Amino acid sequence: MNKWIFAFTMMLCLPSWLAYGKEYTLILKDHLFYPAEIKVPANKKLRLLIDNQDNTPEEFDSFDLNREKVLYPGRTSVIYIGPLSPGRYDFFGEFSPNTARGTVIATEDKNADN
Amino acid sequence: MLITSLLMSINQLLPVVILAVLLSLIVPLSQRQVLIHSMVGIAVSLLFVQGAAWVSQLFQHRGLEFIQMLLCVVIFVAALISCRHSKVAAAVALVATMALYLSHYMIYLVSFWHSKDAAEPLLLGTFLGVGICISFGVLLFFLLESIVRRAGCQPLIVLLALNATAKLLILLDLASQIDVLDITSNYLDWRGFVVENSELGRVLKALLGYEATPSKTALWVYAIATIVFLVLARVLNVKHTKEPVCGS
Repeated sequence: MNKWIFAFTMMLCLPSWLAYGKEYTLILKDHLFYPAEIKVPANKKLRLLIDNQDNTPEEFDSFDLNREKVLYPGRTSVIYIGPLSPGRYDFFGEFSPNTARGTVIATEDKNADN
Repeated sequence: MLITSLLMSINQLLPVVILAVLLSLIVPLSQRQVLIHSMVGIAVSLLFVQGAAWVSQLFQHRGLEFIQMLLCVVIFVAALISCRHSKVAAAVALVATMALYLSHYMIYLVSFWHSKDAAEPLLLGTFLGVGICISFGVLLFFLLESIVRRAGCQPLIVLLALNATAKLLILLDLASQIDVLDITSNYLDWRGFVVENSELGRVLKALLGYEATPSKTALWVYAIATIVFLVLARVLNVKHTKEPVCGS
């Protein structure tokens, strides 16, 4: 019985694992995001690691991606995004919106960053 | 920093003011009760801010999202029970909303307070933001009061349903953000219609939970949860009293 439950669970999880994309790292330093533009594959789920190297908190905010997360100083935060249709998705630091800005560009696989 | 403080305070305070206005008309709450609940809400938000950095490290760095998701559920349920004219439920909804929204602004205030030359624009921006939100709240109060006089309590219940359901959209985004929920359906793009960071977009977001790029899952949840809220609110209200006391 347990084998069947395990197999059923694996079956349910399989589409999600197949659709899973890569991991991307963003660094926040001096209230700027590095890199400011990330090219990612469209239609894949992605893991975004954000390392806040400033000594003040920041809030990662994106109306386009529907994401909002406080980034505590000296800590790494994790945000999952996607699957995204091809296009540009802006994000910014809500506490420093004039400087901390960036864009996720969802493109076909061959054009995406490694 | 002045503009950032102003925008931040409006973004975080407007949803609180809108819910306070709705609850003060539906339950109804007196000005004194709203003031007391606001004080409690500020105290709870401060506690939340104190523990936020520690909580954020729990559950594989997903603790903060779990707490925020819990707050969203509490707001939805408490807003629903408030339709039964329960003052306790209204207080819980208001305090939870303040903890959800104001804590962000408090983190901002506490972090930048000691920065060089930051105190003045921070204070000025906050006062301006609070003033704008209170002005908006007063206007909304009189607008909704006139609607209650003409059409009764039902339009307010519908508005509260949409407002409370919007918190479930926040929950969906948070769950998707920490990979608890797999939202695989494509996102719709309404950025050509109303951009979320425009003036109208911000008001619609605070009032009804407008999202410029919602997922199809979010739209389904929004529609179904609103209907469930309205049906349950009607059932609760009928069981509690035959005559609605909205606005009295």
